[in-house]
Amino acid sequence: MNPVLAEIYSTILPSAPYIVAAYALMWLVLLIYVVMIVRNLKKTEAQMSILEEQVAELRVRSK
Amino acid sequence: MANAKKSQALPEGGQWPDTIAFWATLAGAVLTTIGFLMAFFYAGPVNGATVDGLPEMIGGQMVSSKLLLSQKIFYFHMPVAIVSFAALAFAGYYSIRFLMTKNQRYDTCAKVAMEISLVFVICTMITGDLWTRFEWGVWWTWDPRLTTYLILMLIIIAYFVLRNFIDEPERRSVYSAVISIIALVDVPICLMITRMIPSSIHPVVLREGGMTGDMGMTVGVCMIGMILLGFGMYRLRFRQVRLAQRVQALKDELEEN
Repeated sequence: MNPVLAEIYSTILPSAPYIVAAYALMWLVLLIYVVMIVRNLKKTEAQMSILEEQVAELRVRSK
Repeated sequence: MANAKKSQALPEGGQWPDTIAFWATLAGAVLTTIGFLMAFFYAGPVNGATVDGLPEMIGGQMVSSKLLLSQKIFYFHMPVAIVSFAALAFAGYYSIRFLMTKNQRYDTCAKVAMEISLVFVICTMITGDLWTRFEWGVWWTWDPRLTTYLILMLIIIAYFVLRNFIDEPERRSVYSAVISIIALVDVPICLMITRMIPSSIHPVVLREGGMTGDMGMTVGVCMIGMILLGFGMYRLRFRQVRLAQRVQALKDELEEN
């Protein structure tokens, strides 16, 4: 390869792992947080529907 | 009547922002993906140190400097940092509202905003640190911008540590609000530090006019995408936290009866 071109491109390959890692880790952090929220939301919604059923049963009994 | 009006004004899950939160998140995901592609296929490479010898023709242009790929990190590093500042601004606002009204709802809003801020601060730290490692050859340096941003991150972590240590809700909310406001005070310091201390090695791209049109467009797309993602995540988390609070209140009521 032409030595000038080799020097022009000399930082491209060595920097690639850092760029890949930066993007991958950033997306991973955001994804983990979103998955965590969605899981908690589903769990809380399930708890809410159980509680609503219990409240409805209590109302029927009290009548 | 007045109370009803007052409670309507309070932030609550299921209000109109929630109806657009899903679409905002989706649009955010699409825009950040487009931004990612633009960073690598649209925005031109940045030139580094001049090379020895005659310039070479690359892509119809004469190039006489090293091409820097590491700069591509910047397209996401700056937007995530800006979103972390914006989330802190909201947390500070809600904390002030809490201190004024003593309404726990504002404390919940502030807590969720602080959480979003922490997520984006972590993203900023990751992207910044990997760039620093490659370009400056170190994992960490006590550059004024890095130092003030580290302080900001530690204040946010302290906020959550403190919340876990205080059981009494009223006291916990007051102390948390104060820490949140302290974090907000650090935001302009962190933003302006590279301008206040000119010896800082942290680049000041906008002041130095280092962005071409294609770069600006790419940063803009990434920025809008990240803001939408941040908003969507905030609303989703707020909805979940409010629902959890209602579940707890209902459980307490059932136990009492």
